[in-house]
Amino acid sequence: MPDFAPLYALLGCLPFDCLQLRFMQQALLALLLLAPLAAILGVHVVNCRMAFFSDAIGHSAFAGVALGLLTGFSPLWSMPLFGLAAGLAIMAVQQKARLAADTAIGIVFSAVVALGLVIVSRAGGANRDVQGFLYGDILTISQGEIGCLALLLILGIVFQFFAYNRLFLLAVNPVMARAHGIRGALWQYLFAGLLSLVVMFAVRGVGVLLVTALLIVPAATARNLAASAGSMFWWALLVGLVSAVVGLLLSAQPWLATSSGATIILTSCLCFALSCLWGSLRASRKML
Amino acid sequence: MSSPEQRGDAIIFESVRLCRGGSCTLDNVSARVPRGSNTVLVGPNGAGKTSLLLCLLGELRHEGRIRLVPLTDGSSPRLALVPQQLALDPHTPLLVQEFLCLGTDRWPLWLGCRKNILSKASQALAQVGAAHLLKAHMGQLSGGELRRVLLAAALLRKPDILVLDEAEAGVDVRGEQLFWQTLDEARRTLGFTQLMVSHNLSLAAHYASHVICLNKRVQAEGPPRLCLGATQLLRLFGLPIHLYPEQCEQDVPECPECGAFSHTEELVHTGEESQTKEARNA
Repeated sequence: MPDFAPLYALLGCLPFDCLQLRFMQQALLALLLLAPLAAILGVHVVNCRMAFFSDAIGHSAFAGVALGLLTGFSPLWSMPLFGLAAGLAIMAVQQKARLAADTAIGIVFSAVVALGLVIVSRAGGANRDVQGFLYGDILTISQGEIGCLALLLILGIVFQFFAYNRLFLLAVNPVMARAHGIRGALWQYLFAGLLSLVVMFAVRGVGVLLVTALLIVPAATARNLAASAGSMFWWALLVGLVSAVVGLLLSAQPWLATSSGATIILTSCLCFALSCLWGSLRASRKML
Repeated sequence: MSSPEQRGDAIIFESVRLCRGGSCTLDNVSARVPRGSNTVLVGPNGAGKTSLLLCLLGELRHEGRIRLVPLTDGSSPRLALVPQQLALDPHTPLLVQEFLCLGTDRWPLWLGCRKNILSKASQALAQVGAAHLLKAHMGQLSGGELRRVLLAAALLRKPDILVLDEAEAGVDVRGEQLFWQTLDEARRTLGFTQLMVSHNLSLAAHYASHVICLNKRVQAEGPPRLCLGATQLLRLFGLPIHLYPEQCEQDVPECPECGAFSHTEELVHTGEESQTKEARNA
């Protein structure tokens, strides 16, 4: 496992009292890795209309944790693995059963949530552990998870280098994209797999209930602000990063003292509202 | 130089069947698309025209065989598609130049379009008479402009076979004529084979070099003058349609109210009668 101590020392130099605490430094580092990753994948989630997909994967975390608790596996492993399996299962049902995307997602969504509930109702003591994953807690993120996030970020950037154009064209017209030599199923499965893993880490950060927001709000804000599809990527990254850092720091202020995940999401939603305002101002100026 | 017909076929459909739940969209379709030709698929709605294209593109599982004849150097032909529509949210900030780069270059858009690809893209746009649209937003294009950009994107692939699925639908009369003309010029210059679905019979009669009349089965196939005659069109659409003046055997009555020639109920009835008579004779 790489040693992140120099990074923590660097973050500790920032002029914020709350960043003197190690768990806050860890949380900030985790967010600096997770927020841009979620934001850049969110561009495709918005373009491919996959918000419901990421929501379903987020909810599969519940069954993943429950399964881990039942089988004795650490939920930190059972959750991402189960999420990955659920993501690939949705893609498979969608492709093989010729169902509409939302129907396929709805079926897998129901199955995984029901499975989670069945396991939890059987093993009564698991309730409290499961709750932690429903609401998320970036402040308790472990060194190992930060290491995994760093790996995922590298993987995400490499993936975006090769897949950005392909996924964009697939979103615009899948038949044309495939006719023009893009291996649609391959890229969609790869994207579903990577997205599932990122969603699982996002669940740790902001909880199942808010996971979709971490993906789509920065991308939706970027769509309002960007003048081109290329700059949409950078705007999403910037909005994701800024709202994560500002949200975390705000939540740690003694006068606010709120849940960090929810504050991050509220900050990015505020960015979205401002971007809408800016968009309509720009449109009205064009009219004049 | 050899004529397109002498250069053999580019696509051969052999007994293609597409059936689901007892009903067949395509029933034993055998047809050919001559190399270098402008082949137009005509037929009523639900005749299986788009399904046949989707089978060709490998999107639908079918019985029978669709052969893409290898090129003279033995390589497989390169396909390009001009679709009818894009599933693009009008507010997505995708520029025309970016859309053209998407299909041709794997270099990610977030690192900017590469110069050589951009110059190719602007050449392709100029070829379809849309050079001024390079920096326009895809979501703000008119129907006619979008068709031209889609055509430019397909031409950028340097296709051997260009497939168009009602690509000119939804464009006004002038726009449609311009689209066919641009397409014809591009085909003659670049030498690709063109297979298109269209409902515009008069433009098909003018620009097509080969026509396939499809209504679940192939009803006629060959040069437009033979396939788009009054008898064939009556059989295909059940309506008297005359593209060639000398074939206007039927006296088409004008509408008593507006004075225009229209397919009144009477005409439809006459059409059905002739169709039944023909079927009986056959």
